[in-house]
Amino acid sequence: MSTPVVLDPMTLPSDDNVNPYTFCVELKGSSWFLQRGKMIAYYGSIDFQGIGHGRLDRLVRTSFHSPLHASDWVVAEGSGKMLLADRAFDVNSFDLDEGNLTIRSGNLLAFQPTLALKQSIVPGFLTLIGTGKFVAASNGPVEFLEPPIRVDPQALVGWADCPSPCHHYDHGYMTGVMGGLRQLTGLGGASGEEHQFEFVGAGTVLLQSSEALMPEQATGATPQQAGVPGGGAAGQGGQGAPRLPGQLGDLQRRFGL
Amino acid sequence: MAQFRLQSSKVLAVSLTGDGVKAKNGSMVAYDGQMAFKKMSGGGEGIRGMVTRRLTGEQMTVMEVKGHGTCFFADRASEINLVQLHNDTLYVESSNLLCTDGGLRTGTSFTGLRGASQGNGLFTTTVEGSGQAAIMSDGPAVVLRVSPQYPLNVDPGAYIAHQGRVSQSFQSGVNFRTLIGEGSGESFQIRFEGDGLVYVQPSERNTVGGEV
Repeated sequence: MSTPVVLDPMTLPSDDNVNPYTFCVELKGSSWFLQRGKMIAYYGSIDFQGIGHGRLDRLVRTSFHSPLHASDWVVAEGSGKMLLADRAFDVNSFDLDEGNLTIRSGNLLAFQPTLALKQSIVPGFLTLIGTGKFVAASNGPVEFLEPPIRVDPQALVGWADCPSPCHHYDHGYMTGVMGGLRQLTGLGGASGEEHQFEFVGAGTVLLQSSEALMPEQATGATPQQAGVPGGGAAGQGGQGAPRLPGQLGDLQRRFGL
Repeated sequence: MAQFRLQSSKVLAVSLTGDGVKAKNGSMVAYDGQMAFKKMSGGGEGIRGMVTRRLTGEQMTVMEVKGHGTCFFADRASEINLVQLHNDTLYVESSNLLCTDGGLRTGTSFTGLRGASQGNGLFTTTVEGSGQAAIMSDGPAVVLRVSPQYPLNVDPGAYIAHQGRVSQSFQSGVNFRTLIGEGSGESFQIRFEGDGLVYVQPSERNTVGGEV
């Protein structure tokens, strides 16, 4: 019989993985930001506060109206060891050193307050800037790859120090009448891999080893402004004529007209 | 006495030499040798157990497996954790219990508010005696020791089982902020004090307290 390892505050690792699915954070009077409901257990005395409820934060909250998804985040403060986990997904910690990293919002679990969390201009992504440690969840272990690379949209977890993520479509597949028909109907064999994200430049791309996406976490609304991606109706206005009911989406463009 | 071992992290192998084990109904995936499977009503606790389980909502359908050879058990690819009991009591949710040695007694006990916060009802299953048992978790369980100087707080959704002499109390951090929808998401916790082990899974069930 294999006896399970029994852990106590002495034997729990400090800021490291307990097993591939559980991460242990040691707090020594410091604080960590974590996503709501990802703490599974803790030793010691730790307080969990919704963001904007501290002594100073309250002031910040009342005078600072950013579109920050504040209500999804919790500040853990105190001393002790706490365990983080997310739906039995793989969790990993990463260190940033004067760097930046953009990550899918559902994958980020926790981060040190020395990092600044910002909403990315890519909808559904968050950017961390600064120096510190953060914990991210992924479906299967994370792979680190160097650009130039094209990745499947569902497998992408995030990218670091990396410029220019853009869409890439397989050209032959997408153009012409046949391409349009295939795209619309799926007849003639859609491999499901006609569309990728392309990365070039120096940096690292983080991939998960599965195409199962994590439920997205609300990143907060983008400002309703022209020129802001995902900024709602105001962002799309101005270009081209409004779509007519009979126009069937982008059909005419797909057929190469 | 039945020998339990893990064939893999998700398959339990039990070697039997004429003795029996109790296992979750329908969890056998393979066996070699001679085996007899018999469904036990009321968790094998007789008429009294049948009634209690019906009343408490801690229903479990259990089968008795007897024979010579090796029997393999698995359930929905859940991770399996072995528990060794030495004249000890294991408290586990009936849905997390896979298999127990035939010599162990199972029963129900009142858990109070903790159960209510988990959405699992007010009662839990107890396994008493000496021998081995296997419990299931979503992701490999982490076993945490509770000692008098180190009490432990656990999220109700991640709790699966505990053993030993520990007292549990329900902690609620509900305050006016929770009421205005600004809660921390960690308002409900179970605090374990005393001497024993607590099994925690790296995943959270949906609980009543989870959204608060």
